[in-house]
Amino acid sequence: MVEIEIDGQLVNAEPGEMVIAVTDRESISVPRFCYHKKLSISASCRMCLVDVEGAPKPQPACSTPIAEGMKIHTQNEKAVASQKAVMEFLLINHPLDCPICDQGGECELQDVAVEYGSDVSRFSEGKRIVAPSDIGPLIQTDMTRCIHCTRCVRFGNEIAGIMEMGATGRGEELKIEPFLAEGITSELSGNMIDVCPVGALTSKPFRYELRSWQMSSIESIARHDLVGSNLYAQTYKGNVKRVVSGDNDAVNETWISDRDRFSYEGLSHENRLLSPQIKVEGQWKEVEWDVALDFAVKGLNRNILNSRNMAKLGGLASNTATLEELYLMQKLLREMGCENIDHRLNVKNLNNTIHLKSTMALADLEAVDYGLIIGANLRLEQPMINHRLRKAQLSGANITALNVKDFDYNYKVKSNAIAPSEIANTLAGVLKILLDKAQQELPEYLLAVSPNKQTVELANELLEADNSVLILGEHLINNAQASSISNLTAEIAKLTNSTTLNLTATANSIGAQQMGFVPNSTGMNTNEMFEADMCAFLLLDIYPEYDFHHSATALSALSKNDVFVISLNSFSNELVSQYSDVMLPMAAMFETSGTHMNIDGKMQSFSAAVSAPGEAKPVWKILKVLADLLELPGFHYENSAKVMEGISHQSVQSHEHDTSVNLGDRTTLVETIWMHSPYQSDVLLRHADSLSVSKIGQINTASMNASTAKILSLSDKDSYLGVPVEIIETMADQCVFVSSNQATNIGGLK
Amino acid sequence: MISNNAKKQIDSWITKYPQGKQSSAVMEALKAVQAENNNQLSHDLIQAVADYLDMPGIAAAEVATFYENYNHQPVGKHIIRFCHNISCMLNGADDLILHLEAKLGVKTGQITKDGLISVKKVECLGACVGAPMFQIGDQYYENLTTDKIDEIVDGLK
Ligand code: SF4
Ligand code: FES
Ligand code: FES
Repeated sequence: MVEIEIDGQLVNAEPGEMVIAVTDRESISVPRFCYHKKLSISASCRMCLVDVEGAPKPQPACSTPIAEGMKIHTQNEKAVASQKAVMEFLLINHPLDCPICDQGGECELQDVAVEYGSDVSRFSEGKRIVAPSDIGPLIQTDMTRCIHCTRCVRFGNEIAGIMEMGATGRGEELKIEPFLAEGITSELSGNMIDVCPVGALTSKPFRYELRSWQMSSIESIARHDLVGSNLYAQTYKGNVKRVVSGDNDAVNETWISDRDRFSYEGLSHENRLLSPQIKVEGQWKEVEWDVALDFAVKGLNRNILNSRNMAKLGGLASNTATLEELYLMQKLLREMGCENIDHRLNVKNLNNTIHLKSTMALADLEAVDYGLIIGANLRLEQPMINHRLRKAQLSGANITALNVKDFDYNYKVKSNAIAPSEIANTLAGVLKILLDKAQQELPEYLLAVSPNKQTVELANELLEADNSVLILGEHLINNAQASSISNLTAEIAKLTNSTTLNLTATANSIGAQQMGFVPNSTGMNTNEMFEADMCAFLLLDIYPEYDFHHSATALSALSKNDVFVISLNSFSNELVSQYSDVMLPMAAMFETSGTHMNIDGKMQSFSAAVSAPGEAKPVWKILKVLADLLELPGFHYENSAKVMEGISHQSVQSHEHDTSVNLGDRTTLVETIWMHSPYQSDVLLRHADSLSVSKIGQINTASMNASTAKILSLSDKDSYLGVPVEIIETMADQCVFVSSNQATNIGGLK
Repeated sequence: MISNNAKKQIDSWITKYPQGKQSSAVMEALKAVQAENNNQLSHDLIQAVADYLDMPGIAAAEVATFYENYNHQPVGKHIIRFCHNISCMLNGADDLILHLEAKLGVKTGQITKDGLISVKKVECLGACVGAPMFQIGDQYYENLTTDKIDEIVDGLK
């Protein structure tokens, strides 16, 4: 710490930090355009000039390091004169189109111009015009407004990890543009809108909608992944009009993924379920809430309660539900005596799952020196977790991936394309080497395992690292050796002092587990329910053609004539109306208060930004009234916060897991991993139009290498399980990786 | 897209920089590739150079569009690179450019019908002391006048 003087005040600062960081901390305002606290310093706009005593010329505050005894003036004549001069230069070419500019009212240039600009321009020549470039459906460009601060360029280079924008030309001809005709494709691209200080890059879906001051900004939490990014929902007359990022260094720093930013568009989709409906003699009838709930209760009475057959009732929920919703629903079911409760819908075999515990805090991820990613396309599946790991790699960590495909990583990854059936064997090989080195006894199942080049390398990498993380991803969820992989990873972590991240179930799945939204020992899981002879179901926001692994079985179980199905849904869906007897419209994301639990176990609560459309109601209210009608005790909640108080008293049951390891071999000629493409992972996303026409939203491929295609007698003009074939050599042999933006090919997957 | 000959030249430039800094050779690489492609760089050629040097296409494009010695449109056998920066401008460059255009019957950026000459306006070439000036090939011509221009241009074959 040294002492310096700013505008006559004594201030403590670290030597070497930049003047602007100190003035920001001390709330002394210094105008700036190119400086951004999370980006490198370019010192190109010169707006931040301040007077430093002893320096002959004014110095840019963003790139002048603090030194002992410095005396800085941010407001004296010299500083202000320089700032005004820079402003005058910047305005020479800036258009005067604020009245039609979407940035108007939240424009850094406008704000600074009010303070430092002059009323009259001394520049009478023509202003330059730069043609806009079409960079995709998410970002609107108006490049005449660009002031060449290069924040967007640096964002691409430093944060998104792909340099897509650049400054071409020179002098008066200089312009910021992408090089590739496909425009901007990063999964974090929307942050360029936030960093652009002017109206050159604005939100395309929001274009010409509203002025920033007409909207209210409501803090909220994104629920599409395991991070729970902090953001603001900006609303007007009961609609979410735009989403911008919020700051939280422990969670999303200051960035949000495009998925979190643009999903709100789905809220106003015409497919929203807007009124309660009941099915009478095969015909759907729109009714009042009390009629619908009464109908639901009567149905439950008839099918279940009168015969006291709780074992024939099942409750399933989507993992996008809030903690409160999940808690209340399991409480309702358990109060009725029902133990058939599950949120794990897309798992092939629920007795064979990845049950590894996550032991790493998100913010610590950037400090690891080694990371092993198994079965995840992190960049698209968990963009903010990937961002942290990327930071670790950039500061020197080695990252290795064991994936079925050599994905497009945005940092240096040692990638080994590996068949899903080889993962358990590979981990077993690594474990054997580690145990040998530690001179520990080998368990039975390792005796026959022989080390190979790859396992030796992996073991060495792990042993050399001081702070390593093992990451298990979504592609493992239906791996034939899931449980073994989980156990092997836990053993390896123990021997190498590694931390672990289990990313196999996303959104609010960790919360669902914590809320006990899984069957206890007497209950049935999702798959068992569909095999059993059930009489009634209570379903929370479920869309069978997307959500279930066994979608055909699920559909036929739900569609049986004598099964009474109560569906709470945010969107209407043909299959849901086929099998349901009552459909209750529910509030979606941004429309309800609640809590999300992220990978750290951090609980983040949010309030409703808008109210639900039509007759739709928040789920906690629906469940509460339903419980009251069923005369169940303990549902006297006035709001969702009261539910939360109940939750903190909830004791979480821990589940016993099979700790055995089976090293199976490949059983099929060709192995297939089926994933929803990243912008199709929940129902709101599937209705977000701009996202779905973006480059990532359009991903719909069954990737395989040429030799696999030959085995399957397919060419890149064919489709596989209804998905267009992509022949690409970065795939493991005899494997297909499907990333589909369509419904599961019902019955197509075994 | 890049010929073996050009690759050889690029490789030898790469060795002049520390390992992993191969993108530092971008200027010479663009030059070598341009020389083999009618003295002109297309979008695809720039991308090919970028790929060869393992750098983003836009980063190579930034370089290729910054310097005047890369051409993005067809050019004549001789390129007259006329400086129009401050010193030359103050010494009458603008009028001389008009004169040259009239004499050749082409505008800046165009090629004479016989394909012999094209004119390009460039930024300061560091010869302000002899302003106004232009460059043809490696040769600087300074203290230009209309007569001097006529004589130089008439001598071009
Ligand atoms: S587009 Fe915006 S962020 Fe990018 S350089 Fe221009 S003003 Fe800066
Ligand atoms: S903010 Fe300091 S030079 Fe741009
Ligand atoms: S301004 Fe023409 S050479 Fe310098």
